[in-house]
Amino acid sequence: MFLAIFSPKGNDEVSPDATLMQQLLRKDVSAFEELYERHSRIVYSLVLRILRQGTTAEEVVQDVFLQLWRNSARYDLSRPFVPWLLTLARNRALDHLRLKSERQRRREEQTEEFPQIATAAPEYEKALDEKRRAERVRSLMGSLPAAQKKAIELAYFEGLSHSEIAASLHEPLGTVKSWIRNGLLRLKEELQATS
Amino acid sequence: MSTHDHFRELIEAYAIGSLDAAECAELEAHLASGCADCVKALEEARWLVSQLAYLAPNAQPSDMLKGRLLQTVRAEAAAGGQPRQEPVHSTGIPWWLWAGVAALLIFSVYSAWNERQLRSAVNNLQQQAEAQRAERQKLEQDLLAAKTQAHEAMIWSDPKSKKIMLQPKDPNMPQLEAMWHPELGLCVRGWKVPSPGEKRMLQLWLISKKSGKPMPSMTFWPDSNGTFSAMVENPPDTMSDTQALAITEEPMGGSPQPTSAPMWVGGVS
Repeated sequence: MFLAIFSPKGNDEVSPDATLMQQLLRKDVSAFEELYERHSRIVYSLVLRILRQGTTAEEVVQDVFLQLWRNSARYDLSRPFVPWLLTLARNRALDHLRLKSERQRRREEQTEEFPQIATAAPEYEKALDEKRRAERVRSLMGSLPAAQKKAIELAYFEGLSHSEIAASLHEPLGTVKSWIRNGLLRLKEELQATS
Repeated sequence: MSTHDHFRELIEAYAIGSLDAAECAELEAHLASGCADCVKALEEARWLVSQLAYLAPNAQPSDMLKGRLLQTVRAEAAAGGQPRQEPVHSTGIPWWLWAGVAALLIFSVYSAWNERQLRSAVNNLQQQAEAQRAERQKLEQDLLAAKTQAHEAMIWSDPKSKKIMLQPKDPNMPQLEAMWHPELGLCVRGWKVPSPGEKRMLQLWLISKKSGKPMPSMTFWPDSNGTFSAMVENPPDTMSDTQALAITEEPMGGSPQPTSAPMWVGGVS
């Protein structure tokens, strides 16, 4: 059972990002600059992949980092920073990508101003640095059948629902649901195996 | 499959945001009921989903973006952390306001220039209209003069006209001549006629055959050469009812009755 290996991170371990976020509470511009240097590339890469337009992507990235600066007090320092930042960036980019549909409002209600993400990151998060984890994610996704990989990408980068993906790929709804869930579970296994 | 297992299978799709509305509502209701196992699974699934960001091709934002951001946060930090509506502007006035002021200035200058141009154009048009009006007046006067000349010429040349010689009472004065057409009117002309006294003019009278009284007609005066030519289109009486023509010197504007002795007299019938 995978859940068995997940355990809360020790509160005595303070990540560099959490330290910078603490400094951000005091409106420390150098801490903001450091956070930007550390994470702007992955945030911009994600937003650009979703929006496919450089100027708009930069506007969204600017919005994301200004949210970080202005609402730093609302960030829970006990939560892993990068997944939270990426979720915030993805939500902002999808907001730009689509009109205010019911699903989008639902996502906004679900995530509120700042995204609610894992309070307990898996152990393997510590075992891999960001670069190696990125490599593992790409390797695993590259090994999936093309249609399954496409289904996951449509869900994550396009924000499409199961039904929309099924219609887009001309595949049965049940198949699409299985592809997405099994793909994510395989990703979890891969990251666990690496750790 | 238990209800819990059913919801557990929806967790990953919910985390990535691909659940359709009905399933989404069901799962949210289940999570709200306090299922700790599913809540924890969802937190982990969200972390897992966030890792998909690494599938995006590597890209780097421009240095300008960093510059804009740092400029904004430095300004906000200096202002005590108050967010600014516009990211960059050292004066604190947003760029669109400057743009608006600039546009307004340009528009004002253009309007003033345009108004001057329009005023100049209107003045030119007014001057042109005035010139055209004067030209038209002159043409009308010329036309009237030509008509009068033609009318007079017809009176002087038509065989139905009767010539009347007006003899001066003063032998030193020239003789005048008149021509009366029964339908076209009466003309009188003369040469080397001395100018009347100051504020006086000459007036023609028709002496009625029945009453013998003078009937007032036109007034006139000679030019600097002593020449004059006058015409009466509608004489106050017919030729057959008129005994004679007489000319006196009268005050400016003429008189209803002669105020001086006739200077010229000519019999009509």
